[in-house]
Amino acid sequence: MSITADHPRSPANAGTTTGSGAAPPRFRGSSALRQIQVLSGRSLRALREPALVLPGILEPILMLTVFSQVFRSVSQTQSFPAGVSYIDYLLPAFLITSAVSAGLKSGVALTTELNNGIVARFKSMPIHTGTILIGRSIADTVLNAVNMVVMLVAGALVFGYGPAGGVLGSLGALLVAVVLGWSLGWVFMALSAWLRKPEAMQPVGGMVNMVLLFASNAFVPTDGLPSWLRAFAEVNPMSHAITAARDLALGDPDAGTVLATFGICAVVVAVIAPLAIRNFRRAS
Amino acid sequence: MIDVSHISKRFGTMTALDDVSLAVPRGSVLGLLGHNGAGKTTLVSILATLTRPSSGRARVAGLDVTGRAEEVRRLIGLTGQYASVDETLPGRANLILLARLLGATRAEAAGRADELLELFDLTGAGRRNARNYSGGMRRRLDLAASLVGRPEVIFLDEPTTGLDPVARRGLWEIVERLVKDGTTVLLTTQYLEEADTLADSITVLAEGRVIASGTAAELKERVGRRSVSVTLRRAEDRARTVEALRRAALVPAHDEDGLVLTVPVADSTDIAVVVRAVDEAGTDMAGLAFSEPTLDDVYLALNHPTAAHHATAAATAATTGHPTEAGTSS
Ligand SMILES: Nc1ncnc2c1ncn2[C@@H]1O[C@H](COP(=O)(O)OP(=O)(O)O)[C@@H](O)[C@H]1O
Ligand SMILES: [Mg+2]
Repeated sequence: MSITADHPRSPANAGTTTGSGAAPPRFRGSSALRQIQVLSGRSLRALREPALVLPGILEPILMLTVFSQVFRSVSQTQSFPAGVSYIDYLLPAFLITSAVSAGLKSGVALTTELNNGIVARFKSMPIHTGTILIGRSIADTVLNAVNMVVMLVAGALVFGYGPAGGVLGSLGALLVAVVLGWSLGWVFMALSAWLRKPEAMQPVGGMVNMVLLFASNAFVPTDGLPSWLRAFAEVNPMSHAITAARDLALGDPDAGTVLATFGICAVVVAVIAPLAIRNFRRAS
Repeated sequence: MIDVSHISKRFGTMTALDDVSLAVPRGSVLGLLGHNGAGKTTLVSILATLTRPSSGRARVAGLDVTGRAEEVRRLIGLTGQYASVDETLPGRANLILLARLLGATRAEAAGRADELLELFDLTGAGRRNARNYSGGMRRRLDLAASLVGRPEVIFLDEPTTGLDPVARRGLWEIVERLVKDGTTVLLTTQYLEEADTLADSITVLAEGRVIASGTAAELKERVGRRSVSVTLRRAEDRARTVEALRRAALVPAHDEDGLVLTVPVADSTDIAVVVRAVDEAGTDMAGLAFSEPTLDDVYLALNHPTAAHHATAAATAATTGHPTEAGTSS
């Protein structure tokens, strides 16, 4: 039986310090630029873990294999541009569709993080909330670009991809896709900051993804679509990006379409990013 | 250092905090004690600038937590069920990341990370992913993560809930060391023993309201359930001893096997009365102990019925594995 009185802190241990020197430095904050650098570096650590990177690379290659087989017959239909091989037509579109998937992944990853506690810690620290999203956007954009380079190389080596636009044209297509992915990443991050829960983010994000993807000229020319679907596909920003990327790759770029795509993407980010950051900062 | 004045917080129609006020002087530890749903986490979130109060104001180091949140964040560290680490990163990388975000150079960050890993006995696990840590290791890493910038105020939201007694005591030692360095601590807990061990003063929260506050000693004073426990050598001495105690105007109770007699008393001078009575009965004593009332009693005595129910559960959990007041079945 013990005497359960107060347990006064024993002075015997006084003076034990957590720091080492006489006056250990207190760390009180860093510049926004440093925060962005450190936070994007954190997200890019994924590059060092093959388990996290491989699916992103294998998935589009798998899709490429399936689609190039299943939809080969499309290239025999009338509305298909003459003298263009299906893989040359398909791959630029695939760059765009994987840009959308990458954007969706940014959003889902953010939702997961919102719920696993690291974000709550960041919010209690002297960090600009926006830098968390900007860091993620930069990292995901870099990852996306790497994935696309892998896709182009695999397409050229394995599937006989070799469009008329040459290497430069394909790099142009890649740039369009990267810019689109960057812009859609913000859209999905805004969605995530608004929905908060992965259970909600998965289906809603998936639905948005599907609509963008299938109501576009990604897989078949819009002329081949039923008229009601064609109407939507023609205003779908995805279609513009696909046209721009495809024309660049096929060596017949239209400056207007390319600039329109970049313009739309820039406007989307300018409008959505502040919303995303505000929603993200919003205290529960 | 922490100054909470008439804070209320409503979530829709639900009132999580109702006119809460408290103050924590610099360098001291406040134990915020309450059952599940009492509003502890809500109050900590408000102080850590994560949630805005519906009304009232709160200051940390004189800075308003809503108006000057940016500055407040430079001074605080937060550890809780929700403020955690990046599970995909190793423990050491997490600490380096946080140090870098707080403005440390690469070298400083690595140094601080190693220092903390050492302090929290995690050096060996520093390069393992945080998601593979045991519960106790994870809690230590969370706490280390909140100390990276050497904050002046730390909030510990149920730092030991779910830990085994050994891990809990380990964490207590760390908290005690922090306090010796002059850190101000606000600690929430469901464990009465924890508040008693660590806190200079205690605020008891029930359903969003402060139902008691003061030092542990003051709270005990208010409840006044001190007792002397007499452990007998032989059960057959019991009847005789009880009779002698009753003659001394005391009301002893005994446990199931009848070896421990618990005698409520007014103060410690009554120990002599008990000893005399036992001696008079000619009983052989194996042990004698004077017990201050535990916080369980404080909570039960102050609380309304629902809270009391929670308190009993919390007390049972808190007291497992250490000697408690002898069970009394009078
Ligand atoms: N975001 C929220 N929305 C609605 N109700 C909440 C929210 N956060 C907490 N609550 C409610 O407020 C009350 C206090 O919760 P909390 O502060 O977490 O208590 P404790 O940390 O003491 O267990 C609970 O009834 C809880 O359900
Ligand atoms: Mg809580």
